[in-house]
Amino acid sequence: MGEEVRRATTIICRCNDITLDDVVSAIRAGVDDFEVLRKYLRIGFGPCQGRSCLLVAARIFARLTNRRVEEVLSEYRVRSPIVPVPARVLLAGGEQ
Amino acid sequence: MRVVIVGGGISGLFTAYELLKRGIRDVVVLEERYLGSGGSTRNIGCFRSSFTSPEHVILMKKSIELWLAYREELELQLKQTGYLWIARRQETLGVFKKLAAFHNEYGVPTRVLDPDEAARVQPGLNKSIVAGALFDPTAGRMPVLENIVRLYLKLKSLGVFFHFYTRVNRLTVSGYRVKSAITSRGEVEGDVFVIATGGRGTRELLASANVEFPVVDETRHPVITEPYAEIIRPALVIDWDTPGAPYVTQVEHGGLIFARNISDIHEAPLTSHRVDAISATIKPLVELIPVLRHVNILRYWIGYYETTPDHHPVYGPVSPYENLYVAAGFSGHGLMMGPVTGLLIADWILSRRPSIPVAENLTIERFKTGKLVREVAIVG
Repeated sequence: MGEEVRRATTIICRCNDITLDDVVSAIRAGVDDFEVLRKYLRIGFGPCQGRSCLLVAARIFARLTNRRVEEVLSEYRVRSPIVPVPARVLLAGGEQ
Repeated sequence: MRVVIVGGGISGLFTAYELLKRGIRDVVVLEERYLGSGGSTRNIGCFRSSFTSPEHVILMKKSIELWLAYREELELQLKQTGYLWIARRQETLGVFKKLAAFHNEYGVPTRVLDPDEAARVQPGLNKSIVAGALFDPTAGRMPVLENIVRLYLKLKSLGVFFHFYTRVNRLTVSGYRVKSAITSRGEVEGDVFVIATGGRGTRELLASANVEFPVVDETRHPVITEPYAEIIRPALVIDWDTPGAPYVTQVEHGGLIFARNISDIHEAPLTSHRVDAISATIKPLVELIPVLRHVNILRYWIGYYETTPDHHPVYGPVSPYENLYVAAGFSGHGLMMGPVTGLLIADWILSRRPSIPVAENLTIERFKTGKLVREVAIVG
């Protein structure tokens, strides 16, 4: 990472307040798989479902572990529903 | 002695940890995908010892003791906030009384609650449809993903070799010994082999050594919401009288997980999402705790209950082999049993017998002899 980046205050995952520092520390602690990192820090587990954080986190991980981004993301799966849906809407059969 | 563990999930990790603690230095873990990518990271993170067979109660009590010890030793997180089974029907309270008496006999302090007491354990409960409840204060929950990563990092620092994205296709045998595992990345030789790779995976690997393991992966559909401040106070609230026993837990970061046993094709692919799963699961729970109708559903995933004919795991040596052991078929309880699984498998490998004698009832032999274990309350 460049010297100019303030790791402790740079937010990677806005849903769960995960900082660049959290990501770098986890990798240095030995988390060596992107799916495991994602699960450990809950990156992409919030309401954005990874839309805002996933690529940023994947690129940082790829850079720090000398891997390609495609390789890093190979186990990632999108899960439904794509956007948060109120329970009462599902209970009304989607008509509410 | 080299021990080769097939399966990088909770059972394999705790087996590795127990072996290391007893002086075995050469432990290799082979995992088809990433750490805990089977049931270990697809479950809801809850534990209890309030079961309905002596085998389950005794082993799970020990497992909870070990989880509590590991909370300090491995810096894991968990809390004992109890399981609350809700009865809608008056007749169910008779069943609850019998269950509480059985649990109390084995030292598990479950008790029957009236609707007012139940509503104190779980605020917001719709008392008008509740006849009473059964409460186990020693049950609890944990942040699964964090705990597994902590255990993994510890094992790595102790010198366990992990090979991820390495699929074991078959075992090679010579007489009564397993010689090697043939993997997608080459052959791995070892002195002892432990198969702990879930239901279908274990079944297929044992079949390659001509051992029949009757297990099927039953498809489950858990659903998680956005995070909220505390809504669900106990570790788990279970709707006993509704078919498929729907339940809800609130995880450490605030999301609510709902699940229910809805009938589905066994071993359906992990990506075969069903549009009806979410509403079928949340509907009965919204009746019980009406505020839940306001939550936002975030995501849903598929996992498996690796289910054996008697809903109990298969542990221990696999005859006729001298150096083959299995830990699989947990029927929905693999995470909570993790520590006792490690203990028992290490016992069998190093001492030829388990330190908890009742575990002898759970070897694969029981499917040949027909001495199955009986269990009537598989929920959560």
